[in-house]
Amino acid sequence: MQVIEYTTLLVFAVPLVILLINILLPRQLAEKSSIGLAYLAPLVQIVATAAGLVQIAQLKQHEFAISWNLAGAVSVRFAVNVFSLVLLFCIGMVTLAAIMVANRTVPQKRAGFAGLLMMLIVGMNGMVLVTDLFSLYVFLEIVGISSFVLIAMFKSDTGLEGAFKYLVMSVLASIMILTGLAFVFMQTGSLQYDQVGAAGGALVGPGAPHLALMYTAMALMIAGFAIKTGAVPFHSWLPDAHQSANTAVSVLLSGIVIKIAGIYGFIVITNFFGRLPGIDLTLALIGTVSIVVGALFALRQSHFKRIVAYSSVSQMGYILLGLSTGSVLGLLGAVAHVFNHATFKSTLFTNAAAVHEQTGTYDINELGGLEKKMPVTSFSSLAAFMSTAGIPPFAGFWSKLLIIMALWNSGDWVFAAIALIASIFTAAYFLRLQRKVFFGKLLDKFAQLTEIGGSVKWAQIMLTVVTIAAGLLFPFALRYFGGIGIL
Amino acid sequence: MEAVIYICLGLMLIFGILAVMLRSLLKSAIALAGASAMLAIIMYLLGSVWAGIFELSVCAGLITVVFISAISLSNTDKEDLPRLYEDAKRMAALPAVLIICGVILILIVAKTSFMLPAAVPAVEMADTFREIFWNQRQVDIWGQVIVVLTGALTVVALFKERE
Amino acid sequence: MEAYMETVILIVGFLLIVAGCYCLIRTYHLLKVIIGVEVAMKAVTMFVILAGFINGKAPLAQAFVITVIVIEVVVAVVAVGLALNLYRLYGNMDIRNLRKLKG
Repeated sequence: MQVIEYTTLLVFAVPLVILLINILLPRQLAEKSSIGLAYLAPLVQIVATAAGLVQIAQLKQHEFAISWNLAGAVSVRFAVNVFSLVLLFCIGMVTLAAIMVANRTVPQKRAGFAGLLMMLIVGMNGMVLVTDLFSLYVFLEIVGISSFVLIAMFKSDTGLEGAFKYLVMSVLASIMILTGLAFVFMQTGSLQYDQVGAAGGALVGPGAPHLALMYTAMALMIAGFAIKTGAVPFHSWLPDAHQSANTAVSVLLSGIVIKIAGIYGFIVITNFFGRLPGIDLTLALIGTVSIVVGALFALRQSHFKRIVAYSSVSQMGYILLGLSTGSVLGLLGAVAHVFNHATFKSTLFTNAAAVHEQTGTYDINELGGLEKKMPVTSFSSLAAFMSTAGIPPFAGFWSKLLIIMALWNSGDWVFAAIALIASIFTAAYFLRLQRKVFFGKLLDKFAQLTEIGGSVKWAQIMLTVVTIAAGLLFPFALRYFGGIGIL
Repeated sequence: MEAVIYICLGLMLIFGILAVMLRSLLKSAIALAGASAMLAIIMYLLGSVWAGIFELSVCAGLITVVFISAISLSNTDKEDLPRLYEDAKRMAALPAVLIICGVILILIVAKTSFMLPAAVPAVEMADTFREIFWNQRQVDIWGQVIVVLTGALTVVALFKERE
Repeated sequence: MEAYMETVILIVGFLLIVAGCYCLIRTYHLLKVIIGVEVAMKAVTMFVILAGFINGKAPLAQAFVITVIVIEVVVAVVAVGLALNLYRLYGNMDIRNLRKLKG
């Protein structure tokens, strides 16, 4: 019990302390050391959540409630279960990769970048840990505000444009989510998870007005979270924001923000209201359309980061399909795919940063044959591509298998078939990317090219090792989940 | 009491439409402040005293000030809006859209005889507002602190002139 | 008819949200976007207060509304910051400048 409480305390306290140190240091010292200092937050988070996972295995429980008593009454409640710990681990891992990339790609304003990054981390951790729908909304806004400014802070013309488009879509999403919350509040009288869950059972019953309000609330909240996830038809902000942001910020956005802000919201609302008829079908439809549309658009792009961004849209569709089944197997597949997507998407954006740093361009038509000069980048890109396409023994194969199995078990074999066939599209657009950038003849202008060094190289190596290890160790992970009683 | 609420609702809707459709950005901001004031009165009449005070001071006050400073910093002239941005033409369809939506909504409500549950008299709350705000919703208060901190970092990141 | 007033509030709220979103989507001026957002947020806070009024839990609704107002102010400040930076870049506040990212 103690270790989990420390985990919760640390993931909130450490980023805030680092922010405080950042603010208090004199300007020159802050500029030089803030990124180095920022490494502490994700490292502590990874260690703490790993310790929490170990403790859960020992205690063979998978839910904990933590209450801190301040001024008498029980005032602050957090809940941790094994899925939250996995998500917290993902947050730590992606943030670590992002800081390693930022070390190279963020030459100025490092102190401001580190400060906003700490706020983003606190926002995401908060979203995963709270037990109240309204607090979820508050931390969602924190994540949103930090993301807008991170995209815009380097003041490039495309950066400001991408940030503004993201802001407009995100505010629309907030309005919809908040209206949905107001309607739920009308029905249930409280927005805490335990009370909403209890009332959710009683709702399928009473007369027409209540049901109409519930459906309106659900439609609004699904639309709102779909905007945050970047699912079709609300995906228009995603490629622009990813392309125009500094690549370290793209790693963060695609690697973890769209998942915590969007997918975790879906997990919460399907947890309470998934039994309403029609919700599952809606999620499955949104998921399928996202997979297909994302893949088709990715085939047409020639900007490295845009291809990867559309690939994110496509993969979010897979996760939504896993959630739409409503079964534990589907949820497990979805969370596993969140973890895998965090690794391979971060790898791909790190590769984009490496290629840009060394060659100065993102246009795949101008690149070619880089594998001879940049072997580490090329191999990590290959590993990420095979994991995305779901080729064994890489990790992506297992999570896609779980999702398709869950779909099959619930009888949605049409969606399972579409998901399988869409894997071909995934392989197609990534093969095109690999071929154009890394394989083929080395162009003359790249004769002097060298491999990227420093923290970016280590980030690629670390992420590739995680992808391969997760793929090889997945059966053991399944046994772990069985041991604690989930499966 | 109900009559006053209806009047304020109508005024709020009118101020909202004015805020969208007025040609001068400055007058739009003032119409927005008027809508906030009407909302504050409605909140007070519905029994939410503290929210009304907050809404009045922050939305009708602070946001209007932020807006007017943005307008003056960007030198937006009174004549720009209709001329350069074709604003009047773009927004002209708004009253028609609203009337259509209003008619659709009224028809839906009448056809399905949809009725919100009647107001329950205020449950004898074991907790007053003070207890709920500072004790039960402490997570939200920490969230607000972090939001304001983020806002401060934002201002530093975005508003500084190039060095 | 009991509960007549609440339904009217609901309808007026929806109309305000439609007005705000219409302004958000159709305007060409960066600051007008923020006005649209604010109008829609007024309607949303009205819904929360209405929910509290119906439930009998007015203090809880007020706690929600105060937090939402704080968030709304910070989002407005961020949006104004972005708009002013775009003004510094392009010399005007036109959304039609933002056409560089395509596809």
